[in-house]
Amino acid sequence: MIMKEYIARRIIYALGVLFIVATLNFIIFQVIPPYDPVDMLVDPRFSPEAKAQLRKEWGLDQPLSTRYVKYITNLFVLNLGRSFMTKEPVTYEISRRLPSTVLLLGTSFVFTVLVGIPIGILAASKRGGKVDVLTIGVGLFTFAAPGFFIQLIFLLVFSNWLGWFPWGQMYPVTMNPSEDYLKFVLSVLHHLVLPVASLVVASFGSWALYSRNMLIEALTQDFILTARAKGVKKRVILFGHAFKATLPPIATMLTMSIPGIFTGAVITEFVFTWPGIGRWFLDSMVSRDYPAVQGMLFIYAIMITIANFVADLIYGFLDPRIRVGQKR
Amino acid sequence: MRVIPSKERRKIYSRRIKSFWADFGRNRIGIVGIGIVLVFVFTAALAPWLTPYHPINDQNLATDMAKPAWVRIFPQNRDLPISAEQTIRWDTPHSGSIDFLVSTDEEWGEVVNAKYVGGGERTDVYLNWGFSYSHRPPKVFNCEFRWMSSNVNDMGYSLELFLVRKGDDRNFTLWDSSVKSHNWKRRIPLPLLTVPTLPEGWPKLVQVHSKNVNIYVDRLEFEEVQNLAEIAFSEKGDYELKMHIKFEPESENATCEIDLMRGSFQVLGTVFGVLGVDKFGADIFSQMVYGSRISLAIGLLAAVLVTSIGITVGVTAGYLGGVVDEAAMRIVDVLMSLPWLPLLIALVALFGKNVYYIVLLIVLFGWTGLARTIRSQVLSLREMAFIEAARASGGSRPYIIFRHIVPNILPIAFAALVTAIPWAILAEAGLSFIGFGDPRLPSWGRMLNYAFYWGAFKRLAWWWILPPGLAIMALCLGFVFIGHAIDEVVNPRLRRRR
Repeated sequence: MIMKEYIARRIIYALGVLFIVATLNFIIFQVIPPYDPVDMLVDPRFSPEAKAQLRKEWGLDQPLSTRYVKYITNLFVLNLGRSFMTKEPVTYEISRRLPSTVLLLGTSFVFTVLVGIPIGILAASKRGGKVDVLTIGVGLFTFAAPGFFIQLIFLLVFSNWLGWFPWGQMYPVTMNPSEDYLKFVLSVLHHLVLPVASLVVASFGSWALYSRNMLIEALTQDFILTARAKGVKKRVILFGHAFKATLPPIATMLTMSIPGIFTGAVITEFVFTWPGIGRWFLDSMVSRDYPAVQGMLFIYAIMITIANFVADLIYGFLDPRIRVGQKR
Repeated sequence: MRVIPSKERRKIYSRRIKSFWADFGRNRIGIVGIGIVLVFVFTAALAPWLTPYHPINDQNLATDMAKPAWVRIFPQNRDLPISAEQTIRWDTPHSGSIDFLVSTDEEWGEVVNAKYVGGGERTDVYLNWGFSYSHRPPKVFNCEFRWMSSNVNDMGYSLELFLVRKGDDRNFTLWDSSVKSHNWKRRIPLPLLTVPTLPEGWPKLVQVHSKNVNIYVDRLEFEEVQNLAEIAFSEKGDYELKMHIKFEPESENATCEIDLMRGSFQVLGTVFGVLGVDKFGADIFSQMVYGSRISLAIGLLAAVLVTSIGITVGVTAGYLGGVVDEAAMRIVDVLMSLPWLPLLIALVALFGKNVYYIVLLIVLFGWTGLARTIRSQVLSLREMAFIEAARASGGSRPYIIFRHIVPNILPIAFAALVTAIPWAILAEAGLSFIGFGDPRLPSWGRMLNYAFYWGAFKRLAWWWILPPGLAIMALCLGFVFIGHAIDEVVNPRLRRRR
């Protein structure tokens, strides 16, 4: 019963945040627009009368309140408008590019976690040991190193200097994906190596450090002392007791980090000219394709809201101590 | 209630700070961090004394993407040319029909005056300036001088500048006064005009850039080459710059004077300075030095603002509670659910790529986490016995906040300040790297952006790519180290068991 109330509360809360984001979006791009939509869409040589006609047709002459209501109702059915550049619906453009972003980020996320968390466990299991010191070092290094610089170094060394991997893109421009499917997949994998490797290198340290700190905190708790006093094996203490206790915060952190990874992809996809949504966001920004920018911002906000919601749920389910229904 | 006298309080504080310092001093990582940061602070402060060049405006110091000068310690690079500039000093020949007069002018330096006294005879004279060149061929050279004609009566004249190497019969025409077109890349040289009508008076500036000169070995015969500098200086040896002055009088009373003023000949090196140059020939080392100013300023400014907003909101919300707390935390929640990086990009692009906007926007998205942490800290502090005692003994709200709450959250705030600095630096660097930084500032992120766009990667110009990135990393690492050390000192639980 309490859980249900908790979930309902979270849903209402998430919708509220989305509503605020949508309103902000509307204010930034409609109320104080740095551009005239008509000028962006048609030839500037159109006569003022024709422009006025278009304004009327597109409803731009209506009061802001009407347009706001219309905007919000359109968002409910995920109608994000049409891109200035391609004249296609923004949702279509996003869905076209989403798979490549998900491929890139999904792969690197899995590898990052698979590399980072075991290292963190290893470091925590022998506190003060070589691995531990190294983990702290790498973790601190991760906080200081700009991710894009690590990616640039990967490009410089493995693509420009050694020539092992291609320079950006997802597959050669000349390739026709439907022609030879196997060849296409291999090529995509080949192109995937550098971005994924650099992303993993740039971010596994923070995961290692985070899980190490969590685990060490768990290991200093009283119940571990009890277990040790009872003579439970070290391995069992580490994995059975301590690691289990760190699962909720780690799982929460994993979920919460996903939107950050997606927004961070803006830079990654810029470096590797990866044809994903982040790259498209930047391109739209440069070419002043404001509906696209607006739509992307909203999609990002949805991602963050969903991730936060899921993280709350995971936290609620995994942590028996959580006082469900109470405010954080 | 007993109010601690300020002297005593000062003693308490100074003791606290001293013990903090003692703990911090024992932390090796923290000391290293302070050392790193100090190096950058000194670099930033002493920038004008460390490098003579302006990071952006001093361009064409050397060939584009010239390597650092110290690569010449490797044998295979030993005789790569360095940038060198020499003043041209014309040797005047003896000639019956020309009187030469060399004088020194305050404004124009050494001026060679050639006065025609030939009495109607066609006359050719050659002025020479010799120099030796003992490096591998350069990619670019430039030559610049001023000249002026005066007292021209019934006289056709022309000047031609060319370059020869001793022992080589080729000569390379760099400039010809009779060729009107500035477009020297044109395939067909314009015919020599017999009487170029040049206005008298103000000296004309002639600038010859080897990249813009088409090479023709014999006046009408082009040689297909890519780079004049590489061909002309293909061998080490003695070179001569020659000025050929041709007088074609139309009557016996023809008069003419030609003045050649201050000239210079410049070879652009393919190696330069401490860290080479970028695509535009601007010194990378000075960009690095001035970049430290920008990163430090942005980092510190943003961090100070973030911390002060974070403390204010956190303490107010935590101590007052109720509606204020609820409102503040909802604002924090909303700000935290915003996609800050894309939004930052969009707002910067919409409202102008101005460094102050960028700092303000970074601050806008940066204070939320700290406010939350401080609020929870204040919440637990509020329930502590000593606060309750202060409240019970009649301490006013501001008194409790400023005397008891704030001093107790200062360590956290300080650690947050130090960790906010690298965050802000990285945010600005990322923004500049993808081309949404302030385009007028020579920041490290902008350097990487330029390197990315102007082909540094294709040319493997590591001296352009690595320094800015490594500098960002080093500076941030310094602050992260300090933050880590502070964290260990104020959070003893994290301290390693000894």
